[in-house]
Amino acid sequence: MSTPDFKQNYFQLFNLPVQFALDQAQLGVRYRQLQGELHPDRYANASDHEQRVAVQYSALVNAAYATLRKPLARALYLLELTGMGQEEVSSQPIDGGFLIEQMELREKLESMGALVDPDPVLDHLVTEISGDIKMHQDEFAAAYAADSLPSAAAACVKIQYLEKLLREAEQIESDLMDKM
Amino acid sequence: MALLQIAEPGQSPVPHQVKQAVGIDLGTTNSLVATVRGGRAAVLPDRHGAVMLPSVVNYSAPDAAVVGLEAQAMAADHPGDTLVSVKRFMGRGRNDACADAQRAHYHLAEGDQGMVRFVTSAGEISPVQASAEILHTLHERAVATMNSDIDGAVITVPAYFDEAQRQATKDAATLAGLPVLRLLNEPTAAAVAYGLDSAEEGVIAVYDLGGGTFDISILRLHRGVFEVLATGGDTALGGDDFDAAIADWVVQESGSPSLTPGQYRQLQTMVRAAKECLSTASGVAINMAEILPGSAAITLSRETFESLIQPLVKCTLRACRRCLRDAQLDAGIDNIVMVGGSTRIPLVRKAVADFFGRAPLTDIDPDQVVAIGAAIQADILVGNRPEGDLLLLDVIPLSLGLETMGGLVEKIVPRNTTIPVSRAQEFTTFKDGQTALAVHILQGERELVADSRSLARFELRGIPPMVAGAARILVTFQVDADGLLNVSAREEITGAQSSVTVKPSFGLSDDEIAGMLQASFSHAGEDKLARQLAEQRLAARQLVEGLEAALAADGDTLLDADECAALRAQKTELQTLMVSDDVDAIRKVTERLGRESEAFAARRMDKSIRQALAGVSLDALDEEVKE
Repeated sequence: MSTPDFKQNYFQLFNLPVQFALDQAQLGVRYRQLQGELHPDRYANASDHEQRVAVQYSALVNAAYATLRKPLARALYLLELTGMGQEEVSSQPIDGGFLIEQMELREKLESMGALVDPDPVLDHLVTEISGDIKMHQDEFAAAYAADSLPSAAAACVKIQYLEKLLREAEQIESDLMDKM
Repeated sequence: MALLQIAEPGQSPVPHQVKQAVGIDLGTTNSLVATVRGGRAAVLPDRHGAVMLPSVVNYSAPDAAVVGLEAQAMAADHPGDTLVSVKRFMGRGRNDACADAQRAHYHLAEGDQGMVRFVTSAGEISPVQASAEILHTLHERAVATMNSDIDGAVITVPAYFDEAQRQATKDAATLAGLPVLRLLNEPTAAAVAYGLDSAEEGVIAVYDLGGGTFDISILRLHRGVFEVLATGGDTALGGDDFDAAIADWVVQESGSPSLTPGQYRQLQTMVRAAKECLSTASGVAINMAEILPGSAAITLSRETFESLIQPLVKCTLRACRRCLRDAQLDAGIDNIVMVGGSTRIPLVRKAVADFFGRAPLTDIDPDQVVAIGAAIQADILVGNRPEGDLLLLDVIPLSLGLETMGGLVEKIVPRNTTIPVSRAQEFTTFKDGQTALAVHILQGERELVADSRSLARFELRGIPPMVAGAARILVTFQVDADGLLNVSAREEITGAQSSVTVKPSFGLSDDEIAGMLQASFSHAGEDKLARQLAEQRLAARQLVEGLEAALAADGDTLLDADECAALRAQKTELQTLMVSDDVDAIRKVTERLGRESEAFAARRMDKSIRQALAGVSLDALDEEVKE
């Protein structure tokens, strides 16, 4: 099976600068344009082989889009382009202050069930976590731009922690709604 | 004097001649077929003017299945031979389907290997065969109304259908002799039906409550591109469950008499009519005396009905909530499309309107909207519309993964990933000297293998003996635009390789399908070899025509003289061979030429990428972004 011999990185594929800041609207426009050319539906009447190549190209564009669209995936991809793998990223030391904050946030989340009216507290918590994520994204962007890769990687790890927490908060929110 | 061109029989004389394409909604309760004629999509009626074909197949006679209304009329007298709602059994194993079968009073064949089979007077029948009968009836209807062969069909499936259920649907089409262009998710089809008529832009939620399944999908429509953002639902929740809830209530109200299977079927038909009545009336009488002489009539008020179905409606809203979360929208929903007969129920409409905070669209008949959307997509895929008109970017509904140590599932492709998708993950051996690796492919959201749907197993052999953890085995999942999976495994050091096109554990084997094909109605009296030859010639012709067009467009710029000459020589060889009757030789050369032209096809796609991006000036991009 031949695979797309596209040697460029995902940013180049979408004709975008290799950086963390990204124009989502432009990314979307170019994604739709590329799929408009490469999607297997455009080859529905072509030979099996051509269809297979189209599936591979279309899958490549989908993978690139999924990576660039999400800030954390994009940040990790930028690190990967510098040669820093997942393992190296997750082995970055994290400062104790951040870990203590995490524990406190988690405790708040776990005590949610005991509250009479958990909704406003939960809302507040979700806003707080989202704000923290945004802050560490900015931290990543600055560190990456300054070529300070260990700090950039540490910011990624923090975002990973916070996103996990956010998903748990959302789960609790939907559990509460189901009970209503 | 100009020579007249004469086309071979079955070959279109002009490349842009209109082709015949249909969309088929293979439903749990009813099935429909639609086509685009004169630029408008419409459902096709049978010769009595009915557009809905009840998805009912009767097998009382040994070799003549009866489909539709006639079969429905036989249900009371032949409950075990009359298969209704077979869609609920597609791609399911015996253990999985037992409860449903008991409720419907079917006899299932013994043995828990493979897909369920119903024991009927005509022998053991799989849900795939029964579905093929329904497709065959619709196919005949289309050929009769359009007075022409069908070039291609799009068949819809619930978005939430898993791999096994999709494969079973495709198998049914093969069995019915239908050329399938694509399996299309029902909600996507419904969005297409609305989207093209009104040229909507924005975010659309499709709430699809049919006879047996519930689907919710969130899509974004942007300049003719439908991007499915998330999808969810329940493959075993629908109008049938509303009927069952009413039937149980009626039985309880009449003092819990024991009913025969035939009487139960009668009751089901009666409560279905009562349910439909309650969409407009505030109360309805159910005359139990028709089933059990001497019984008193029972009145079902709309309030009672609503309290009976309330828990089921709530289940659908829960799925909506999860789907909304998966879609990660930054703004609200612009439109809600309602699909399926059950969305006529006032309580359902009200619950959906309350949940999304706006009134749903109901302009197109909720029973026809899926078939109409499928017909539009079929028309595009078959090549009747200009390119760039419309594009559907769909997702996989359930996560795909592999079994790892300790009975855990490692997810490789998470749910709601846009297809087509190709994803690879590396694994290693856990014992010293291990030379084979068992690959077990699973589908679902749960952590444990025991809770997930087993799709297929295969073995990678020939790994050289190494210490544990030294081998590097790359497993690649590829899901195509139909949502069907292909998995391959490769040991990176030695290159040992193995792959399967996933034939699900609950699917039919290729041999079984071949056997059924031979025995089936649609090919009785048809020469199998002639069919193979026709198919192989078609494949060869597609390749030759495609290659000719590609060489004319890019042969000079993307190939060097030698490459160009080599492809041309092989093309000529295939063209000469095509007129012969040697199926194997045609297949072999088609396969070889196809393989050798893949690199050229890839270069052309690279060029497309460059052109797609260079073709738009930055100003135009900025303009579109600003809108």
